[in-house]
Amino acid sequence: MKLAYYPGCVAQESGKELDMATRWVAKAVGIELVSFPSFSCCGSGFMDEANEVLNIALNARNLAIAEKAGLDLLTICSTCQGMLTLANVRLGDAKVKSRVDGALRPLGIEYRGTTKVKHLLQVLTQDIGLDSIRAKVTRPLDGLKIGAFYGCHLLRPADELGWESAEEPHSFEDLLAALGATPVYYRGRVMCCGFPIQFVKPETASRIAGHQILDAKAHGAEAMATPCPLCHISLDAYQNRAEKAVGEPLDMPVLHLPQVVGLALGASPEELGLPRHLVSTVALTAKVGARA
Amino acid sequence: MVEATVHATFDVYRFEPGTDATPRYDRYVLDLPPHTPVLSALLKIRAEIDPSLSLRYSCRSAICGSCAMQINSKSRLACEAPIGPELARDGRIVIEPMRNQPVLRDLVVDQDPFWQNYRKIEPHLILDPRHPMPEGRENPMTPAQVDRFKETPRCIACAACYSACPAVEADPAFPGPMALAKLYRFVVDPRDTARQDRLVRIQTDGLWLCLRCHLCTEACPKDVRPSERIRDLKEMAIAAQGATEPGSRHALAFKENIRDRGPLNEMKLARQSMGLTELVAQLPQGIRIWRKKPELLRAPHAIEGDDEVEKIYDALDDHRSSEDLP
Repeated sequence: MKLAYYPGCVAQESGKELDMATRWVAKAVGIELVSFPSFSCCGSGFMDEANEVLNIALNARNLAIAEKAGLDLLTICSTCQGMLTLANVRLGDAKVKSRVDGALRPLGIEYRGTTKVKHLLQVLTQDIGLDSIRAKVTRPLDGLKIGAFYGCHLLRPADELGWESAEEPHSFEDLLAALGATPVYYRGRVMCCGFPIQFVKPETASRIAGHQILDAKAHGAEAMATPCPLCHISLDAYQNRAEKAVGEPLDMPVLHLPQVVGLALGASPEELGLPRHLVSTVALTAKVGARA
Repeated sequence: MVEATVHATFDVYRFEPGTDATPRYDRYVLDLPPHTPVLSALLKIRAEIDPSLSLRYSCRSAICGSCAMQINSKSRLACEAPIGPELARDGRIVIEPMRNQPVLRDLVVDQDPFWQNYRKIEPHLILDPRHPMPEGRENPMTPAQVDRFKETPRCIACAACYSACPAVEADPAFPGPMALAKLYRFVVDPRDTARQDRLVRIQTDGLWLCLRCHLCTEACPKDVRPSERIRDLKEMAIAAQGATEPGSRHALAFKENIRDRGPLNEMKLARQSMGLTELVAQLPQGIRIWRKKPELLRAPHAIEGDDEVEKIYDALDDHRSSEDLP
């Protein structure tokens, strides 16, 4: 299948390993990624706090780029997924639509509202399908206990994002099981990672991240996996702060969604950018027989 | 017609501070029709098995907001949660008191912190004494004006949102979703004269600690959608006062940052959002991350069509809040 690839800002910058792993997995499962150098930032839930209509208009422009190419949009970030989907929803309001159209029309941009926004997790579990992925597993993650961490904007508000239960999601766990891993269920898997207030009150943000990691750990997780690079920053790059905030060592490797898939499908840790993580994944990958 | 029943297992949180050393879970097994509300099941347990079980309830019709509790870890009203779906999914029903409020006994929590946060936002109309209402008539509003807060009056103050909120859990400085949703209601009320003052005060009273995780909107039994009203408040606060707090500075800096090139420039954003002291304090962490992720210091390429982005800003970035536009 062919999709307009919307990597989002972080995967093109400090979270580049997510882009690397996505490209590897896309090739392995047969997704053709079409790049558009004209995509702008989704607003990340920050811009709409300053100007919601402007944020919707910028995303309408993004959605129009994919629409013009006749492609659905692939995201690899829970927050991009949420912001772009909500732009589609809010454009259903005639008042919003007319303001947005008023800004886009002079630029010769028209968005008719037909672009579907799909996160990689949806594409893998719904379009490619678990059977097809299971058949491609060459390095089963046998028995590895992994706690999925969804990221808020992939799930909520459920009535507007509308693809999976916000309270009892299971697609990520189903995928982990198909890769041979043992999914770990814990309350924190649908909770917040703390990232949105890292700039507002870092101690509180880190305490929230620490709570979720401790919860995963208490339920036996040896690693966590997330479909959101912002959660990854909070859980991996800032894990040292989370440790300080909760007063306990955490030592929890955190993988991006396509890194877990790539690992099971035979990619090397380097191809997946695993050495770029702040919390080492070496012991974890050695367990499934993947060595540098 | 004899109705089919299901074998329902309840594990109910029991705790009496001062008497019990630790909380325990008591198991009760009953045969009940699957549509039975959790509250009815608990009342049956109390009437027929264990009269010592403490819980709070009143109307049994999802109007009074008294019976909010955690049902299989989710904060909701016990009177409108049927046991069938809970059993079908989890095989049993774990009943616990709401989170983020101290337990007084069993399922009864101390709601004082919740109500204190509510009182603090001054949940009443503040009118201007110099302009009393005209003699003999009320203070009229147009249907469009009323429409702006059509959701918030539905709130029954059950505190399910407060229980579900991770910001409340992590930081007592956050007033909670319900108080902020109520604040929104008065801020957009055209009869209220304290709008500016309310918006200025809330910027330092915890508004920017909202994580916009939407867990409150998911928990709310009345679809008040607190997280969306909090977003509205943030935008109105910036429009009213500009960026005075780290949170509002970050939101504004983010917006300006995208205008430049299209994609986000992570390093520049940090410079724009933080003051010099904060930036210096963040330096060791920044270096730690940069050593693994050197792109942190590299400015992203401008996108193709960055002139389009700029023109969209010119058309729509007029420093008014989206909420207040005609």
